[in-house]
Amino acid sequence: MNEPANERPQLEPPVPEPASTQPHKSLEANGREFFALLIGVAGWAVPGLGHALQKMWGRALAVFLAVGALIILGAGMRGNLFTSRGEDAFATLGYFADLGSGAFYALARFLESAGPDVSHSAGDYGTRFLATAGVLNLLSALHAYEAARGRKA
Amino acid sequence: MRGPLTHLQSMLLFALIISLAFGTLGRRRPAERLKYAAWSFCLFVIVGVAIGWLMFPFSR
Repeated sequence: MNEPANERPQLEPPVPEPASTQPHKSLEANGREFFALLIGVAGWAVPGLGHALQKMWGRALAVFLAVGALIILGAGMRGNLFTSRGEDAFATLGYFADLGSGAFYALARFLESAGPDVSHSAGDYGTRFLATAGVLNLLSALHAYEAARGRKA
Repeated sequence: MRGPLTHLQSMLLFALIISLAFGTLGRRRPAERLKYAAWSFCLFVIVGVAIGWLMFPFSR
């Protein structure tokens, strides 16, 4: 008697890896993840540092200069640098964007000793420059984190 | 700086800085970086000017 044609082929059970290699692999993966996280935090704290630690010198320099230029220009235009004491959701959002520039947030506060002046268009542009510096730095830190995890960057 | 930047100068400066950063982060080879930076700079400027003209009827 013939066998039924639609009989499913039996899949072979997966071969488990030797127990001795599994914890080692997991430790290695955790270590790499932790290193990537450190790279991301370093990239946020000091613009370009996340890339510099991975010897991506061109990207590190570009991020450092771009974020630095935006901060200097924004502070020079007397843009509004938001604080944690925001009165509404937009001010809080602006604070998080500004905070994205890490240590350069303190630099902007130092440079803008006279305080913001958004009564002119330059001040309004300065506010955007400062916020963009923060968001660009966050993007760069995320890029450095992904590169450290081994993703193609 | 002699005085405050004009609207156009501010926009061009903003577009230039961001485009260079995008180009460096987004591509690996120098030629590709330059091409990507130039492309995003053009888009920033074109879209900025287009939005400016779209807002023109409401400006007065």
